[in-house]
Amino acid sequence: MNSLLDLLLRLALWLLLAPLLPGIINKVKAWVAGRRGPPVLQLYYDLARLWRKGVVMSTLASPGFVAGPALAWVAVAGAALLLPLGPAGAALSFRGDVLLVIYLLALARFGTAWAALETGSAFEGMGAAREVSYAVLTEAAIIAAVLALSVQTGTVSLATMLAPSAGAGAVLLAAGLFTVLLAENCRVPFDDPNTHLELTMIHEVMVLDHSGPLLAVILHGASMKLLFFALLLTQAVTPIGGWSRPVAYMMLAGGVFAVTVGVGLVESLLARFAFRRVPLLLTTAFLLCLFALLMAWKGGAL
Amino acid sequence: MSPGVLLTLAAAGLATGIVAGPWLRRTWLVLTIASTVAALGAALLVLFGPPANGWEWRGAFPLGGEPLHLRLDGVSALILALLAVIGGTGSVYASEYWPDRHYPVSAPPGRAWWCGLVLSMGLVLVSSNGLHFLIAWEAFAVCAYYLITLDRARREVRRAGWLYLVASHAGTVCLFAFFSTLAARTGSWDLGPMREQAGVAPLFWLMLVGFSVKAGAFPLHVWLPSAHANAPSHVSAIMSGVAIKMGVYGIVRFSGWLPIPDLAGWIVLGAGAVGALFGIAFALAQNDLKRLLAYCSVENIGVIWIGLGAALLAATHGDAAWGRLALAGALLHVWNHGLFKALLFLGAGSVLHATGTREMSRLGGLWRAMPWTATCFALGSVAVAGLPPLNGFVSEWLIYLGLFEGASNHGPPAWAAMPAAIMMAMAGALALASFAKAAAVVFLGAARTQAATHAHECGPAMRGAMLALAVVCLAIGLAPVVFWPVVSCAASVWHPAWNFATPSAPLATLGSLHLVLAIAGVAAAAWLWWMARVRGLRRALTWDCGYVAPTPRMQYTSGSFAGIGAGWFASLLQTERRVQRPRGLLPAAALRVERVPETVLERVIQPLGAGIIRVSTAVRRLQHGHIQSYILYIVAGLATLAVIVLLGGKP
Repeated sequence: MNSLLDLLLRLALWLLLAPLLPGIINKVKAWVAGRRGPPVLQLYYDLARLWRKGVVMSTLASPGFVAGPALAWVAVAGAALLLPLGPAGAALSFRGDVLLVIYLLALARFGTAWAALETGSAFEGMGAAREVSYAVLTEAAIIAAVLALSVQTGTVSLATMLAPSAGAGAVLLAAGLFTVLLAENCRVPFDDPNTHLELTMIHEVMVLDHSGPLLAVILHGASMKLLFFALLLTQAVTPIGGWSRPVAYMMLAGGVFAVTVGVGLVESLLARFAFRRVPLLLTTAFLLCLFALLMAWKGGAL
Repeated sequence: MSPGVLLTLAAAGLATGIVAGPWLRRTWLVLTIASTVAALGAALLVLFGPPANGWEWRGAFPLGGEPLHLRLDGVSALILALLAVIGGTGSVYASEYWPDRHYPVSAPPGRAWWCGLVLSMGLVLVSSNGLHFLIAWEAFAVCAYYLITLDRARREVRRAGWLYLVASHAGTVCLFAFFSTLAARTGSWDLGPMREQAGVAPLFWLMLVGFSVKAGAFPLHVWLPSAHANAPSHVSAIMSGVAIKMGVYGIVRFSGWLPIPDLAGWIVLGAGAVGALFGIAFALAQNDLKRLLAYCSVENIGVIWIGLGAALLAATHGDAAWGRLALAGALLHVWNHGLFKALLFLGAGSVLHATGTREMSRLGGLWRAMPWTATCFALGSVAVAGLPPLNGFVSEWLIYLGLFEGASNHGPPAWAAMPAAIMMAMAGALALASFAKAAAVVFLGAARTQAATHAHECGPAMRGAMLALAVVCLAIGLAPVVFWPVVSCAASVWHPAWNFATPSAPLATLGSLHLVLAIAGVAAAAWLWWMARVRGLRRALTWDCGYVAPTPRMQYTSGSFAGIGAGWFASLLQTERRVQRPRGLLPAAALRVERVPETVLERVIQPLGAGIIRVSTAVRRLQHGHIQSYILYIVAGLATLAVIVLLGGKP
């Protein structure tokens, strides 16, 4: 009973808090540009509005067009529940959960790409092709980062891997994971979440044909994924396990806020990269994580 | 019933099937199914029976000068079960896919060869005598050749079959050398554990090369893509699902029996990691559906090699515990790959059956006409991409877990485990890209050609065979712990000192999470569908940024989808391009043709072969039939020897 309550509480927390992050990012961008910007809760309003709207579906789409976003949302929610939240731990923690989490995110990618390809649109084909191709490099970076944490702590479970700090390689790991966060969540300089109609988009172009509740589910899933990566980054870098409960929660909240503001600042100060440079940047992220892995290796051997 | 009785029944049934098959179609089907069920029963009796027993039988009378010795233990029962499942479902599929009325010439002998193939592979698995192993191995290669070339009228089929036969025999040469040297060193053709005989250790490498050719491990996979692509689809399914696993069986079997050289783990692990990445890079670039599946087999053999290599490394580095996880993952992946790859090949077969083409860019939108095939293929795609909650993830998870624990143990093996884990992750992401592409280009969107427009769903037998395989894939994914005894039985035969009684990884937890994920996914999809219906669902043309008249040809093709990923591997793939750009104010025709060559075959082996033939042709001029010249050679030879002796050298 207690664990069920815990699970529901957790799920509610993820459901309710996640849409806050894009609002904060937009506020930071507006602030840097000297505008007032949309309210922080804008995404909540959008989601509520979309949820009430009707759906226009392509004549070509199969039931997979609906199943894809649903599966992607479930997969991201599953990954979120398996991520420990500082001293509160995860809903379920076991040896090898970290690999399940990584592959749940891959499942979400498969669902989104599948739904995009349902429509037969060349735009959505482009977006899906980019999403799955760049994922090859981000996946390598994430595995290298996770290996670094695993080698550092000698375990393969998220709860124990994330408790101490990443040691000497923390800075490298932070930079690598932050780049991965930007790429996986389709932020500048990989993608521009503000535009839908350019040929150069990744994520936004994949959801062109989705509307109503389907789009709401996709947008909410994307915000959960952003929160997921922000939490992962914070816990990987900071020694969150060594502090008392209130301090650890403060650290978590502060870390997520800092990452979100960082994303906003990057988005304000950088332009989107040309597509041919995207793999280079991702390779850099991979190398950063790889060096973090080597540092973790060295640190453990001493 | 004991495994022996069941095996005898199975063998008798298959032998009758060989004789009766060409004339009695129904009898053949019943016999094949009954025999495979009996074989499956025997395998399961061994796998789920009391541990470390197995079944062994020594005959009194000799065959070919050697006494009969049959054995069915964990390792061989593992593959026998897979053989039985795919042999049975494949025969059901074939009865509709390759019927007498469409193929009056090739269908009757095809049935006999099918029974022959299943029987000979079964004999390879049970024979425990080097000589009989080789005989069965050769029979298996020949049966497979005749099945691949069933449709012999087509030139590319004959070429593929010929290439298979040549490559297979190149491997068999190594095996001949291996078994005869082994017999000479140990003094008997009888096979069994010989870990303590250090003298036979170098033979490990001969064995590795010989079986790797059959397994299609990179870069010895040259025969695999064309054979799998050109064979009839039920044959592709058994070739990819079971026949290449016979190579894996050989390596698992003899790496468990022979002393392991120190380098073995490093080499197998390294070859596996490179093979997985390169194999899937080739798969991504293919435009032929069955060729894509074939290259994906190269990747999966790589994944199995990674697990096996890690186990070998662990065994040579102080019996580390993480080796058990990797070994269990590799053995389970043998099953998993066999099941989902057979499923995918059968799906590709029903697409070919319905449309007459394997070219993905000529298909599209097939889900409407073929919902069952589309669903099965989608399920297989999720499984082969190694995504939860299906079986592919379970085995890859075990291998990852082994590699991660090996890396965090800080020994020398970590230097192999870390890069292998990263390369496996990249291969996994590329597999996702390949199968998102394959499934989507074939089944989603709009039909690109007339052939795709007029597609039709396959009949009940083909559908039933696919559904059966899909259900097994789902079962292993959702309840992996049920299948743990299978893996533990095989693994404890491989390394008797390792204890596998309880799962050394939280498999039960993973299984229950998979179940929750599957239920939640289905529930969420149903709810969202219902929600969309409640809010009002309207159908409209795909929105293409205001463009009003999209045509099916504007869709993304398989080549364009793979463009980014294939570009990264350009130096490996060596894609050939022919481009004719549009010119002038009113351009007429423009064209862009891309072909991904069989790089290893066309750029390495063919030039090498051509060089050998050129040298041999030149040398052959010496032999021309003029006896006076031959006398001159002899005189010149003698004179040279005389000069050497005169100068004080010792002849």
